[in-house]
Amino acid sequence: MSPRLAARALVLTGDGINCEVETADALRLAGFKTDIRHLNDVIAENFPLDALSEYYSLLALPGGFSFGDDLASGRVLALKIQHGLKWNLATFSERGGLVIGICNGFQALIRMGVFGKDLTISQNEQGKFVDQWTRVTPQGNKCVWLKGVGTIDLPIRHGEGRIVLSSATKIETLNRFERHGQICLKYETNPNGSEERIAGLSDITGRIFGLMPHPEAFVRWTAHPDWTAYPDRASSPGQGLMVFENAYKAARDSN
Amino acid sequence: MFVRVEVAVRPEFTDPGIKTFLRKVELVHPEIYRKLRWGRWIDVYWIDIDSTRERMISAISEVFQDKVLNWLFTGNLIPSAAGSHGNIEDLMEHAPERPGVFWGLEKRYRTGVTDNVGRTIIEAFEIVLGEKVKSAHASSGSMILIEGPKLTEDDLSLLARDLFCNELIESWTLLSEDELRKSGRFYPDQVKRQIARPENKARAHVEIFNFERMTEKQLDDLSFTRLLALNNKEMKAIQNYFVNPETQAGRKELGLNFATDVELEVLAQTWSEHCKHKIFAAKIDYKDSTKEKKKNIPTVIDGLFKSAIVAATEKTKRPWLISVFDDNAGIIGFDEEDAVCIKVETHNSPSALDPYGGSLTGIVGVNRDILGVGRGAKPIFNTDVFCVAPLDYTKTIPDRILHPRRILEGLRRGVEHGGNKSGIPTVNGAVLFDNSYLGKPLVFCGTGGIIPRMTAGQVSHKKEIIPGDAIVMIGGRIGKDGIHGATFSSMAMDEFSPQSAVQLGDPITQKRMSDFLLEARELGLFRTLTDNGAGGLSSSVGELARLSGGARLDVTNAKTKYMGLKPYELVVSESQERMTLAVPQERLDYFLAFAERRGVEVSVLGEFNASGRFDVVFDNKYVASLNLEFLHKGCPRLELKAEWTGIKWNPGFVEISYDTEARKRILEILTRPNIASKEWLIRQYDHEVQGTSVIKPLQTPSPGMTTPNDAGVIKPKSSSWMGLAVGCGINPKLSEFDTYLMAQSAVDEALRNILCVGAEYGTDDSIVSMCDNFCWPDPINDTYKTAQLVRAGFGVHDACVALGIPLISGKDSMKNDYHGKIGGQSAKISVAPTLLMTAMARVSDIRNCRTADFKVPGDRIYLLGPGNMSLMGSEYQVMQMDRLKERGGDVAQVALPSSVITSQNPTGVLGKPEWPKPNWELAKRLYAWIGGAMGKKQTLLRSMHDVSEGGSIISIIESMLARKLGAQILVPEGTDIWAFTLGEGFHSFIVSAGDSESQILEAEWKEYQIPFTRVGAVTGTGDLDIRWYTGDGEKKIVISYPEMLAAWRKDGYWE
Repeated sequence: MSPRLAARALVLTGDGINCEVETADALRLAGFKTDIRHLNDVIAENFPLDALSEYYSLLALPGGFSFGDDLASGRVLALKIQHGLKWNLATFSERGGLVIGICNGFQALIRMGVFGKDLTISQNEQGKFVDQWTRVTPQGNKCVWLKGVGTIDLPIRHGEGRIVLSSATKIETLNRFERHGQICLKYETNPNGSEERIAGLSDITGRIFGLMPHPEAFVRWTAHPDWTAYPDRASSPGQGLMVFENAYKAARDSN
Repeated sequence: MFVRVEVAVRPEFTDPGIKTFLRKVELVHPEIYRKLRWGRWIDVYWIDIDSTRERMISAISEVFQDKVLNWLFTGNLIPSAAGSHGNIEDLMEHAPERPGVFWGLEKRYRTGVTDNVGRTIIEAFEIVLGEKVKSAHASSGSMILIEGPKLTEDDLSLLARDLFCNELIESWTLLSEDELRKSGRFYPDQVKRQIARPENKARAHVEIFNFERMTEKQLDDLSFTRLLALNNKEMKAIQNYFVNPETQAGRKELGLNFATDVELEVLAQTWSEHCKHKIFAAKIDYKDSTKEKKKNIPTVIDGLFKSAIVAATEKTKRPWLISVFDDNAGIIGFDEEDAVCIKVETHNSPSALDPYGGSLTGIVGVNRDILGVGRGAKPIFNTDVFCVAPLDYTKTIPDRILHPRRILEGLRRGVEHGGNKSGIPTVNGAVLFDNSYLGKPLVFCGTGGIIPRMTAGQVSHKKEIIPGDAIVMIGGRIGKDGIHGATFSSMAMDEFSPQSAVQLGDPITQKRMSDFLLEARELGLFRTLTDNGAGGLSSSVGELARLSGGARLDVTNAKTKYMGLKPYELVVSESQERMTLAVPQERLDYFLAFAERRGVEVSVLGEFNASGRFDVVFDNKYVASLNLEFLHKGCPRLELKAEWTGIKWNPGFVEISYDTEARKRILEILTRPNIASKEWLIRQYDHEVQGTSVIKPLQTPSPGMTTPNDAGVIKPKSSSWMGLAVGCGINPKLSEFDTYLMAQSAVDEALRNILCVGAEYGTDDSIVSMCDNFCWPDPINDTYKTAQLVRAGFGVHDACVALGIPLISGKDSMKNDYHGKIGGQSAKISVAPTLLMTAMARVSDIRNCRTADFKVPGDRIYLLGPGNMSLMGSEYQVMQMDRLKERGGDVAQVALPSSVITSQNPTGVLGKPEWPKPNWELAKRLYAWIGGAMGKKQTLLRSMHDVSEGGSIISIIESMLARKLGAQILVPEGTDIWAFTLGEGFHSFIVSAGDSESQILEAEWKEYQIPFTRVGAVTGTGDLDIRWYTGDGEKKIVISYPEMLAAWRKDGYWE
């Protein structure tokens, strides 16, 4: 990867993805040069993994309702990326690439098997969509996106955020996650019935990160649901920005 | 090959689908719920794709299988991972009680109904198979497997009808245990029968009508049988047009003779009340037979729209108004680069039949108004207001009407799918409950947008078409759904209301179209555009044709959902997710190629011209040719009579001691559905997508602790601290007394709500503007209802002119009545005349926004504003009237409490209550201070909440709840304690400020002659403590935090 292109981020959109603008904004605030590109354009250009690694140090799958959450959230988007682009994201991260999947993007990463084949994500336990701010705490130090991040508040906005582990292999899965520090973000309370209060996962390199809460929705303090109680902080950045700043540092350092 | 696929959650995991369903059963049919021992939810899909068995097996596994979570049943196609049976019996074996008695209840969409999942399945198969599939069909449905030995077929049918299906769009089948165990339902010929596939009808044809010698009776019959919803005068105007020799000569040249069904339908849509607003344009003779005549309401009204609404905007003329009343939405300037726009629509009639589809299409429909304004704006917020009957309604429901609980659940789900999936935050809204909404719910859907002042080198708000531009339809395909929507909503609901008027939305098709449009706008690929809403192509092309002076619409190649649509159906269908564009011929190829790349379907349908006609062509033949002038201006004007006979009655008053009664009454009011917390609903709306959220519907210091905020604020541009506030005012409970007062109250409340959160008001360039939405019972032939309409119109006018606020957009819906049967008896239910005012304004710097919650113990609490509250027309009065009605008593006998407290008398004295009155002079001064136009200490206010439903004590309680803070209130000497705490009125707020800041504030209020009352202080206890002094010394009542919270949350009532 040439240093000139080091801090470039690709934000995918199309087919019902709807958080591409704020995700790109958050990446820009953190220092990235950002392209929002339609998935159909990327597929039509026949953009192989080599090109992805060459041009971009970061790939973001933003939140939204790709394909209307029909059949299962993120499933058809995952099929489209897998069949249309055939990117091996593990190879991308080995080459120094960073990946983030937020909400619907996380659901798609799970469907693509990035975190293993023995887990899935499904309807919230309470059976309904929920928009609510939750307190989340990073776990371990493996995930490069969460370096130095403490307990923070982030909003969740989803109907399908419950992580489910295969009942037959649950212990092995948890052991594997434990070994590699993959459970990198947990809810303080459990807003959706997720196994082990999992809010986010990373791959074994710690460079691919998926989470249900929306860090891009808290890049300025005035997005917090109780900010008016602390008016003197109104000009401050939000706690979600750190996640993207970490990515920027990691992107620079891996050069 | 034909395949049926069933997907079930593995038994070891919780099944949220069945959990939600069972909860509904528990609420609505507790007697059946007790017989239900166990259940599971199963998704069912029917697929017909031309492919080999091997490829199908692998594709089905990829598209449907989630090995961790699901079991997949496909008959004998793919071996199931389930237990020893390899079929649904494996699931049955996990029922807790055995041997069980099982039933299956299955539903699927009726033929021709939009099935979004079905469409996604085809796309998924194409992705997986790596090729386009021809003539593929897929549909989706569900099955519930339930167990209970005491369940009867009748129970299950009741569940199917009341809770599982909406029979208008879905059909259901009951499967016995035997049928479930046999795998007959997977046999290809049975699957084939179950795949919804509209039959290909014979070649489309055109019906003709000879208007020569048609009698009045025949004209009426024609209007009735074809659902034209045109009156006799209008039918006669159409007759005169067609028999006119001049018309006939022109038609001959085109090969047309008699009037065609296409022409009649186009006229009926264009002239419908829904599109033409005939009542709002009517000439009205207004008579006021009371003593206190309002001089400003003229006796002859030359169209209420013109003389009340447009007049208000003209009188308040502001330089920042860019486009008002003539486009799909009102546009106003935001900053130097951008403009903002807003539109609020109603979608009542479709929502009565299918609330889910109704609110979903209401939302995506008003989103298209924003996409179709000027050269296309980007939707940036939604606001939704629903009016329904109380959820615990237990009396007989009118025929063909759904229970209010189902209506609200459907409306909510519509927002979840229409708002959340479109990626537009729902930042504001309200839900109102009243029995008058039993026959027709009111569904208001509003959207705001942002549009650069210039796009692709053009002024964005101007609409222009040059003769020769191509007529292009993009987005969804045409089907039979939504035929006659515009005319249907121009009629009362009755037993014959057409089911084809129901539409289901497809948010993803629309999202693709919307993304595409905003890109194409920047590339300058089209000249202008508009939405295909009510009236379909007939309205969109008919309207746009006025810009160039004519159009030749060729529907031969219009993309359709299925074959066999008649030309008139192609022209008037209201199938969703479509926009009509004018595309310059030289850019058409690029436009088409770009649309294909974005997965957006396009039909090129003729061209705009300057012929002076609206022509429709099918298969190289003219099927309609209407003079454009006649189409748009030929509709005869309606004439109405109105008589205002005054407020029907005034409530009586009795002296009631506060300390014995008030505690109970405050809790009672707090728990009324109109007041109680709507958190359960609000949390299911995404109010933060787009990352712009500043003030949310709920102020939430920590989960479960909330105070409702007065309005929403977003920060629409990442590069600027400027914000946009949106709020609403609605007070239909006053309509029963005087709609003039009701309308003024709605304007005042809408403005106060946005002022609370920090909107700018009173400066030269503050951009406060409003939308008006009238939902009325049919006023035709009813002089009183017409008078109510007139008074509401002038109420809005007078308030807006006084406050200097222009109206920039609006909509009226005039047929909100139900005619039908309740338990075999004929019945008519009319909605309470309802006016929604939606206010939008700029916030100069969002860092100065305020919220409603008290912040710090020890802070002072003030009632800011005149504070002359009254129980007349209050929630308290409505509560007392509801109680009388319950007991079959006479509502006119309602008596309200009154007690003026003095430190001389041991008890209170009966006051002299009056109807609340606005004082606009005072209000303007007060609002200008709050809005930052004068003074400079506004930022010292730590909280601000308006006093509306329930009175000041309810505002105080709401402000306390989020932080579990208490309040100690001292009622001032000489006030009527009942009115002071529970009365409602104009212009007042509950505010709080720190102890030292309060002196600075008081000084500034005095300087600007702003009335205020010290009412108490914030405490750390969580309790509400109200004190007052009488001749007997201090008295008080205390209500604890848990009591208030429980009453306000009303858990168990909502869902």
